[in-house]
Amino acid sequence: MVKEPGTGNLAPNPEPRSAITVTALGHGRYRVSDGQRQRLAYAAGPPAARWVFLDGHVYVIDVTASRGSPQVRALHDEMALASPMPATVAMINAKPGRDVSQGDVLIMLEAMKMELPIKAPRDGRVKVVACAVGDLVQPGIPLVELE
Amino acid sequence: MFRRILIANRGEIAVRVIRACRELGVESVAVYSDVDAGALHVSLADRTVRIGPAPPALSYLSANAVLAAARDTGAEAIHPGYGFLSEDHTFAAACAVAGVAFVGPPADVIARMGSKISARQLASQAGVSVVPGETPVDQSDDAVAAAACRLGLPALIKPSEGGGGIGIKRVRDAASLLAAIGQARREALAAFGDGTLFVERLIERGRHVEIQILADHHGQVVHLFERECSLQRRHQKIVEETPSTAVTPRLRGRMGEAASAVARAAGYRNAGTVEFLVEGSGDKALFYFLEMNTRLQVEHPVTEQTTGVDLVAAQIRIAAGEPLPWSQAQLLQRGHAIEVRLYAEDPARDDLPQAGPLLLYREPSMPGLRVDAGVAEGDEVPVYYDPMLAKLIAWGDTREDARRRAVAGLRGYPILGVRTNVPFLIGLLDHPAFVSGDIDTGFVDAERRTLVARLGGDPPPDALAVAAHAGESMLPDAPRSIVASDPWTTLRGWRG
Repeated sequence: MVKEPGTGNLAPNPEPRSAITVTALGHGRYRVSDGQRQRLAYAAGPPAARWVFLDGHVYVIDVTASRGSPQVRALHDEMALASPMPATVAMINAKPGRDVSQGDVLIMLEAMKMELPIKAPRDGRVKVVACAVGDLVQPGIPLVELE
Repeated sequence: MFRRILIANRGEIAVRVIRACRELGVESVAVYSDVDAGALHVSLADRTVRIGPAPPALSYLSANAVLAAARDTGAEAIHPGYGFLSEDHTFAAACAVAGVAFVGPPADVIARMGSKISARQLASQAGVSVVPGETPVDQSDDAVAAAACRLGLPALIKPSEGGGGIGIKRVRDAASLLAAIGQARREALAAFGDGTLFVERLIERGRHVEIQILADHHGQVVHLFERECSLQRRHQKIVEETPSTAVTPRLRGRMGEAASAVARAAGYRNAGTVEFLVEGSGDKALFYFLEMNTRLQVEHPVTEQTTGVDLVAAQIRIAAGEPLPWSQAQLLQRGHAIEVRLYAEDPARDDLPQAGPLLLYREPSMPGLRVDAGVAEGDEVPVYYDPMLAKLIAWGDTREDARRRAVAGLRGYPILGVRTNVPFLIGLLDHPAFVSGDIDTGFVDAERRTLVARLGGDPPPDALAVAAHAGESMLPDAPRSIVASDPWTTLRGWRG
């Protein structure tokens, strides 16, 4: 492996084939290599919702997990249960304790004369409904929490 | 030539027109609403005028505000782009009254072609077939249902006034007719304030092919070949290309002549597009006139890439009274071009529009690739307007070359901070049916579930490693590289 000046190996590298090297190139660009093949990646955003672009795919990753047992969560669930834009709550179908199936419309929002359905991203049980009909809701704030 | 042109639009098309003005040595005037004060089109123009608050009705759709801005800046012409005021015949008429050139056809032509009924009549008179359909005089639900049955099912029920795919219902059997009519009427009333319905025979597996027209003020009309726009979702185009895989040279000639005939019959001026529905393929394919769009199309770049004609510059020259510099015989198609529209939307959530900051936005650049964008890194995507951010246009000698370039371009087009349809578009362009060119207007809706299913999935280890490293590398003393088989082990080790 060719090393960039100023790079440092921070962990033993017993299996070069599966090791992943990330090199920051500045301005949100990263070189990521498994020791054989390398690609260019891009990242931006806060630790709680860090966006990564790799080879045409986009991931939103939470890297704030506790240090003892770091876990990564894809944030799609949480994002799916928030409004993408300022909107008014037109209808609420979700009730705490009720079971829902993936695709069920939990909340109907209205913005710019369009109806925006907030659907269950997976099967589950409704834990909390954090809005009421008529509320003006802001983007990114979860409206429903699933157990 | 004009000294100064006002662009009554925003986003990528405003940027496109401003660039054409610069090339022609014409000063550009950008108009903007409050939320667009920092937008790319405003930064690029020579002069700028605020025309109102964010809601379109109070800014980009306000004819008075736009005309006042033209008067105050001494603009001699107004380019309307597409959408907003571009097909508002009263606006074109008001421009004429104000003594400002409208870069588009005359007001009466816009009015005639804007009504589906009179446009179809005109096409029929010009000897061009139309899809069997009618606006029933008796607009009661029962009479509309009876009209649909007369034409034969399956049929389309759609608002007589309208566009953008709103209120269009597909009906396969008589049992669901009345429900569809009621729904279409409610949506038509809500969107256009007019519940008049039009019924049309549904051409199964039809292809949407349109012909680009240019007409000057000296009686010359030329066509610039076809664009295939069959890849639509809910009647909204997302991928366009030229030439069409369904169009043979002979069919192309016939369609081009038909489109020119419609334009001549309409007394058309400037750039316009005649839309056809093509049934079948080969020399004997049938084509039906659908409508004429009396403005520049979103997908105009594919025509530009294959003909070498700058359509926006041509529009401005025509409006300034210059004759078309080419005859029909001098216009040629070369190679293949594919355009994809990049939307701020979430394909995993029914294409829900997304708003937010463009934390990172980098356009790809490579031979044969063009990006027409209306945004820059750091911009905020507002909630008030169409969520299209940019168009990526790939050109190649063959369709497959163009397709590969488009995919390569999208794979190197990072947009972070708002969800976009980029991953969905890659899946679409790589779909075996698209690769083979065997597509029709129902393709995206039919394949959507499979395409969306492929988007999910957990981030791969390299994406996690990059995410983990991203924050650390922002610290001043951070090493520039980390290595580990598990990114999290590495992070802990580094922190420790």
